[in-house]
Amino acid sequence: MPIIVIGLSHHSSPVELRERFAFTEAQIIEALYQIKNEGIADEATILSTCNRVEIYAVSDNSDKQDFYQKMTQFLCKFHNVSDQPREALYSFYDSHSIEHLFRVSCGIDSMVLGETEILGQLKQSYQLALTQKATGPKLNRIFQKAFNVAKLIRTKTQIQRGSISISSVAVELAESIFDSLKSQKVLVIGAGDTSEKAARALKSRGASSILVSNRSYEKAMSLAKELDGKAVHFDTWEQEFMAIDIIISSTSAPHYILNKDKLEAMLKQRGNRPLLIVDIAVPRDIDPDCNQVENVYVYNIDDLQTIARQYLNQRKSDLANCEKLITKKRDELLKDLNPHKEKTSFNLSEQRTTTEI
Amino acid sequence: MQPERLWFLAAVIIYGIGLLYSIFVWRRGFQKNNWTSYILISIAFIAHTLALTHRGFSLKQCPVNNLYEATTFILWTISLGSLIFGIWPRLRFIGVFTAPLLFCVGVFAMMPGLDPEYGDQPNFINGWSSLHAALIMLGYGAFGLSAITGSMFLTQERNIKLHRASALFSMLPSIQRLEKLITRSLVAGLILLTSGLFIGGVFLDLPDGISFWNDSKVIWSLLVWTFYTGLLIAHIKLDQRGRRYAWLAIFAFFFVIFTFWGTNLLSSIHNPKS
Repeated sequence: MPIIVIGLSHHSSPVELRERFAFTEAQIIEALYQIKNEGIADEATILSTCNRVEIYAVSDNSDKQDFYQKMTQFLCKFHNVSDQPREALYSFYDSHSIEHLFRVSCGIDSMVLGETEILGQLKQSYQLALTQKATGPKLNRIFQKAFNVAKLIRTKTQIQRGSISISSVAVELAESIFDSLKSQKVLVIGAGDTSEKAARALKSRGASSILVSNRSYEKAMSLAKELDGKAVHFDTWEQEFMAIDIIISSTSAPHYILNKDKLEAMLKQRGNRPLLIVDIAVPRDIDPDCNQVENVYVYNIDDLQTIARQYLNQRKSDLANCEKLITKKRDELLKDLNPHKEKTSFNLSEQRTTTEI
Repeated sequence: MQPERLWFLAAVIIYGIGLLYSIFVWRRGFQKNNWTSYILISIAFIAHTLALTHRGFSLKQCPVNNLYEATTFILWTISLGSLIFGIWPRLRFIGVFTAPLLFCVGVFAMMPGLDPEYGDQPNFINGWSSLHAALIMLGYGAFGLSAITGSMFLTQERNIKLHRASALFSMLPSIQRLEKLITRSLVAGLILLTSGLFIGGVFLDLPDGISFWNDSKVIWSLLVWTFYTGLLIAHIKLDQRGRRYAWLAIFAFFFVIFTFWGTNLLSSIHNPKS
């Protein structure tokens, strides 16, 4: 029974096109029903995220061309798309489709290399298909294997390690200094977009007490409300300093708002507890000399970006190991699925582009 | 060579291999959650334990009666402590910091002069003396662990301070957690040392004409106790933290290690031949 995946992703199409093919949960249920009911495929699962729309299907139709045509026609018809975007639609068949699924589950095919969110989305899609009884023995086996491969890749390689966004690097930095973020107090100075993201990331990792200070008190209040925190007048943020463990600063001030002398004077009030200062403002808010003060760690936007880049390079350097593992696991699965058929080894690099059927 | 010394030699050689591996890890960074140093310390620990138990059974005493035995006992405590700490994935690299200390001090302990023959009738006083010595050695072992976690703290703190990505890539714990471990090791060490000194002062009889107060080892032990107590008070009450605290934990333990033999040799109670 052939296995096929057809779809479009950030690799092959812009968001304007992807959104035309996106499925809501209700539409997935309807589409799965139609695929089975109309005899297009025996088993199917639909994955629809902001970066990809893919249908994984199994059919007893041994005519690959016919199977492909039926699937693409269905996809276009379901979304009322009359002009079939041949350039954007890709498809993989049998071993290549399995390999593609494994790559997707591990985040190797994602826009952000090694991201893990896709695995959760894939599990949800599979679960939905399972509850709709749209899957069968073959897809069940393939998806379960894909989840196992994702787990294996996570533990055996560095592809999912580290943070490659500024806000998550800031969180990781805080975690390398503080035992737990739950008891740490965060002060956000300047309610900019990046500082908001960093504060949100800290909150998602447990930071419970967040203060927001901004020249516009209304804006501070608005952000504080979103973060379940407390707004502080810009002129009085120094009074809160004694209790603060992490400062995220992103004001538009043309000069330093904190220099070494001022910091040293303020530190006398708060013992020698470590203090992390993340300065994401340009021009910088914090005098870099503050980093010379004992128990104070100052990181600016360049420092965070450098770390994020190094993480990304580390992930890329481990890509070959992931590919090897995926090939190995794919061959194992093929052997299980077709015990009497001699397995063929495929070279990953030969088929990363759209496969013509 | 006596079999227990052969076992200890084997342990020291494995600690030496651990030291070589430590150099490799230091160069590469503490990135992957690997078990190599942990396994090396575990194997050495088995040989080390065999060396101690062999000596203990042959003496029918806790083997802490001369400098060789005392040193191997302290090292055994440090080895055991690092294996317990290493159960937690984030502390698995502790072996990389422990192996150099275990190897260097282990080589020193192998010097024949530190382990004189007992003769036909070893002169052990009673069970209290064994307990007194064992508790104190365990205490020094705990102080050794505080120095090791202190060196982990300094490594991680320096990487964070210098904005090195390795601080985030590494599998080392947060510096706040390491500081807590320094404190816990110091507290454990101080409790053990205090108990050992208390037993020595209350339950052990002194030979005629000898006083505690003119014995170099007793004075030295009290000095060590005072220093560690002061360090803990400074940390808990006076907010002595960070690099200075870690350095003081390391300095204190090196003071213990470097002066332990000398004061022991000069002591009329602990080394009656002197």
